[in-house]
Amino acid sequence: MIALSNAHTIVRNAADAGQGQFLGVDWGSFVVVFLVALVATVLIVVFYSTGLRLLAVGSPADGSDERGVTTAAVQDVRVGPRPLGATVGAMLCFAVSIAAVLYGLWLLIPQFH
Amino acid sequence: MDMLLTVIVVIAVALIFDFTNGFHDTANAMATSVATGALKPRVAVTISAVLNLVGAFISTEVAKTISNGIINEGPGGVSITPTMIFAGLVGAVLWNLATWYLGLPSSSTHALFGGLIGAAIIGAGFDAVNFSAVLTKVVVPALLSPVVAGVVALLATYAAYRITRNARSHGAEAGFRHGQTVSASLVSLAHGTNDAQKTMGVITLTLIAAGYQGADTGPQLWVIASCGLAIALGTYLGGWRIMRTVGKRITDVKSPQGFAAETSAAATILISSHLGFALSTTQVTSGAVVGSGLGKKLASVHWGVVGRIATAWVITLPAAALVGGVAAWGASTSIVGLIAVAVVAVACGVGFFVLARRHPVTRENVNEVDQKSDDEARSQRVGAVSGTTGED
Repeated sequence: MIALSNAHTIVRNAADAGQGQFLGVDWGSFVVVFLVALVATVLIVVFYSTGLRLLAVGSPADGSDERGVTTAAVQDVRVGPRPLGATVGAMLCFAVSIAAVLYGLWLLIPQFH
Repeated sequence: MDMLLTVIVVIAVALIFDFTNGFHDTANAMATSVATGALKPRVAVTISAVLNLVGAFISTEVAKTISNGIINEGPGGVSITPTMIFAGLVGAVLWNLATWYLGLPSSSTHALFGGLIGAAIIGAGFDAVNFSAVLTKVVVPALLSPVVAGVVALLATYAAYRITRNARSHGAEAGFRHGQTVSASLVSLAHGTNDAQKTMGVITLTLIAAGYQGADTGPQLWVIASCGLAIALGTYLGGWRIMRTVGKRITDVKSPQGFAAETSAAATILISSHLGFALSTTQVTSGAVVGSGLGKKLASVHWGVVGRIATAWVITLPAAALVGGVAAWGASTSIVGLIAVAVVAVACGVGFFVLARRHPVTRENVNEVDQKSDDEARSQRVGAVSGTTGED
């Protein structure tokens, strides 16, 4: 989040200086948008996926990827109990993802700022 | 009397444009969720419609100018008359319906700009258009948006598969579907805050230009409500033809890809508009879907489909401009001309719906892609594309 507000300042400074203009486009701010979007998305996806992976610790792998069919009777059987660390880690990962969603909502709703 | 009638017709067409905008852009947020089965089609469009309506109410700060600098408005430039706005909207609506019929996601904003440009050229000559602003605000973002979102989604998809052992970790599939629902909802809300606002701006500026509303006042409540409802209704009815293209025909989207694509789209849209470098929602989402296809091993991206979408993006502005120009030419003669243009436009619009009924795509069959009929449809589409450009 701090990175984003820093980026905002960078963008504004770049715009003020009027540097990097080509085809009338401020390429400096474009690069910032690109990098921030890239880093933010990859972080969210990595955290969320890691959360899912940690939740699955101790469970057998689902039969085939992406069949989308869950035969509950077979797959709810746990191979072993999930270690506490994995559960806590998963919750932390999900918390990061939820925070990202809330920050997105904050950005979207003008009444908040 | 003529002015009142003109304003009423403009508002009606503006609301129809708003409706087609919702109709067209349901696919941006919900196509991947419908394709992966994260949401049942009816549930998906309901969520999207409600969020578009909410978005319309939370963000009502409308633009100061209709064209956002693309047309030289105001002192020293041309004054955009309600008739020109009407013609521009007609161009945008007809282009939106044409691309919907062909199942191609294309930017409603670009269609609106195109229609206005055509109407302005007919009404006031080529000097009316600020072509460097067209380059900066339309052409370059259109080239960059899909690339940015595509690269981001590619890496995100790769990471999602890598971390969850190709989504074979227990419960990963379902987990990605939940995550996808959340990020798709954010895209829907972002759409509501952006796009309903555009129609509100058009109606409000028309009312101001006609003297029915004081300058520098915001949109009235009935304008906000009717724009919100029009876009929500359009979203609810859903452009299933476009959803099939985005969710199934670019690449067969699976839930980790859908999650990665929607998260990339949501993040890219939010960050770009927050940092003041607005990127087109439609182009961001389409790019993200292509990226999610490239980021997964052994997934195929149908470049033929991608190529047709890209072609539609290139044609959008000139095609809408051509229709808008013709409409402006007919409508500027007299009130009779304006009514005649409106009648012809309605006839064309109904024509697209009748054509679409020959191969209907509904929420029941949105996820069915039959290769054979696909090929047939493709050759028909090629014919249809050359047909429309010929008419234009």
